Amino acid sequence: MIDFLAGAASIMTPELFGIVLLGTMLGVFVGALPGLSGSTTAALLLPLTVTMSPIAAIAFLGAIYCGANYGGSITAILINTPGDPSASATALDGYPLAARGEAGRALGMAAVASTLGGIFSVCVLVVATPLLARFAYNFGPPEYFALAVFGLSMLGAVGGAGALKSLIAGCLGVLLATVGMDLTTGVERFTFGIPDLSDGIGFVPVLTGLFAVAELLDQSTRLDERVERHPLTAAKLPSRQDFRRSGKAIGIGAVMGTAIGVLPALGATTAAILAYNEVRRVSKHPEEFGKGAIEGIAGPEAANNGAVGGSMVPTLALGIPGSGTTAIILAGLLVQGVRPGPHLFNEQPEFLYAVFSSMLAANLIFLCAGLFMAKLFAMITLIPNAFLWPAVLFCSVIGAYAPNQAMGDVWTMLVFGVVGFFFRRHGISPAPLVMGLVLGQLVEESLKQSLIIFDQSWAGFLGRPIALVLFAVTVATLMAPVLLRAARRLGALRASG
Amino acid sequence: MMKTSPALRRRTLLLATPALAMPAIGRAQETFPSRTIEVVTHAGVGGGTDITARMMMVHAPGEFKQELVVVNRVGGSGAAALAYAASKPRDGHTILLITQTHLLTLLRGRAPGLTYEDIVGVARATEDPQVLMVGKGSPFRTAKDFLEAAKTTKFKFGTTQVGGVDHLAVYGFAKEAGIQQPTIVPFRGGGDIAINLVSGNIDAALVNPAEPEAQIKAGDIIPLLVLHEERVPSIPDTPTAKEIGINSTHATVRGFAVLKGVPEDRLAILEEKLIKAMSTPLYQNYLASTGQAKGSVAGRRVWQAQLDAFYRTGREALAELGITR
Repeated sequence: MIDFLAGAASIMTPELFGIVLLGTMLGVFVGALPGLSGSTTAALLLPLTVTMSPIAAIAFLGAIYCGANYGGSITAILINTPGDPSASATALDGYPLAARGEAGRALGMAAVASTLGGIFSVCVLVVATPLLARFAYNFGPPEYFALAVFGLSMLGAVGGAGALKSLIAGCLGVLLATVGMDLTTGVERFTFGIPDLSDGIGFVPVLTGLFAVAELLDQSTRLDERVERHPLTAAKLPSRQDFRRSGKAIGIGAVMGTAIGVLPALGATTAAILAYNEVRRVSKHPEEFGKGAIEGIAGPEAANNGAVGGSMVPTLALGIPGSGTTAIILAGLLVQGVRPGPHLFNEQPEFLYAVFSSMLAANLIFLCAGLFMAKLFAMITLIPNAFLWPAVLFCSVIGAYAPNQAMGDVWTMLVFGVVGFFFRRHGISPAPLVMGLVLGQLVEESLKQSLIIFDQSWAGFLGRPIALVLFAVTVATLMAPVLLRAARRLGALRASG
Repeated sequence: MMKTSPALRRRTLLLATPALAMPAIGRAQETFPSRTIEVVTHAGVGGGTDITARMMMVHAPGEFKQELVVVNRVGGSGAAALAYAASKPRDGHTILLITQTHLLTLLRGRAPGLTYEDIVGVARATEDPQVLMVGKGSPFRTAKDFLEAAKTTKFKFGTTQVGGVDHLAVYGFAKEAGIQQPTIVPFRGGGDIAINLVSGNIDAALVNPAEPEAQIKAGDIIPLLVLHEERVPSIPDTPTAKEIGINSTHATVRGFAVLKGVPEDRLAILEEKLIKAMSTPLYQNYLASTGQAKGSVAGRRVWQAQLDAFYRTGREALAELGITR
């Protein structure tokens, strides 16, 4: 607790608070902008953070992450275009409300639910981190292998675009992870003699390409399309009755969002969709959903911001990112020379608590922003595409080139822009590809390391309880649909018999 | 720390451009250096080698009476940095901050158009001794006991990249100490090695002393033997290899070099001013705080001899290990 207060105090310098404020507002801004997501922005600004102190850098990226997850709801509600993928569930009930002229109510609920979800998850993070610290030295290669397998087992579910398509994208990601010099043999694989590829395919250029460049290409194909817009009166606080109706939904969203966020493989988008389904399932009037139910905003908004805090747990404690944005935050940590892992909690608690405090502050900042300035945010969408997207491309090229000062990274970005465009055209989500790229290297290296440690005997895994538990959870997750169906059939049999 | 902002660096680069465009004639009579000196590193901004370059550069402009800029060319284990230097005139205005990794890259033919003979050492910047360490679960508490057991047991050693500098150090040490060649468990970095030493997944490792400082203090990792001429100040009770009768020294080194073709008088100027810039308290403090050896900064003769020796043993080791490409 003292550590936490010390951390909280450390962000109360004008410089750091300014950075958090800037990051949050920027996050809300780009989150609201369709196609410019928090992960794109974090990737673009990653080189900028290099010159900051480690705390400032991570507080900045974390604030963008928090802000963007809220900002996405603004455009989702106003123009039925989720500004961030994680706000896609919010559009389902938010837009009907806005269409009825109740945009203020919808935006207000989104801001409040997001803040409550976000604060809940950060509290969990603060309480649970000392516990996570005990795992310090229990995670060796076998445990990481089991964890990576667990993460990869969810490749099919992560995109939300059909399991087969997600698996195709995921496998492509895993294959891409094999490019570069192999750690255990010192041999270059799939580099074709190009020096730029010998360290593997860069993460930032792939992300920038898949998200920003692909969106640009996509936008350029529908220049003539007009997006319907609705006047916005004011963003007023939801009524007491709205809160009474939504209390349970916020609770469900916050808990589910945090829990799902903690799982390395699942992020805010999945959390919001699952929470929406769950809120509807327990509602007394599920028929109102999809037609403007206020709980339909509260649930997913609490969930996607809950997932923000949740996904910081594996990122910081295990060095395994739970989403695209945390992957960039992880890169930011590494650039700063902060090695994520359980030891962080022992060695640099003040650093962690400063990060958590800045995330709390970000949540409160976007609550104020959401309530007072929603109308202003909505004007972002009025920027003509002809100005907006060339500017985005310009930033993308700089963002890809800057970290390594290598043109190779720019080509990588452009190639993945085309890949991302192709993906969109065929309804394939880029999320599994990113996940495959992250986990592919981990799964291969940790398996090879494990086998060397076990003298090439697979039986060695049997002596590692944490790995066994993770394997068991993986099997259970994969089997869950089959088991549930069997149980239901058994129940039906019993009822009829 | 002393980080130049990217905007500032870009401006200095722009300022340097007119000088580049000047005809080559007439430059020979000019005082050297006549324009901004580029320091090329294979590390990204904020990487260990990058920071070394920037630490040197704090006082270097005063010595050279010219600006210096860091050029980060990441990729290909130094190949990108070497290629960049090769694209510049060999007039002393482009200097490389190299590590043993660059030599291995040259050795394996990964830097097109360049061989080891093209590298001319100017001054050594850092020397980080390798220390033999075990985890607290290990039954060994002295180097003698460990090495005695290692004569009959094939231990598992944590290193970084297979075929990399750390791997070659383990290979060389095992030969020199007369122990069985250990099984290599490669990891991404020193942090992973430290965690796996503590948890007992690996038996031992050669590590730079500053890296697992927290674990050494906590008693989780025990340093057994320093592979350096002198003891390391942060672990004063750990003997050197020489003290127990083993002739084995291994260190991670960084230093400045140019490509062959730079005139002798300019080499001398570079050597003198670089050493002066690195003799300041600021740079020496940096060395101490990162666990580098006191005598890290050394001139051309020492540095070139070390490079030659490493290149020779590295070539033999890679051939014996069967890693050539």
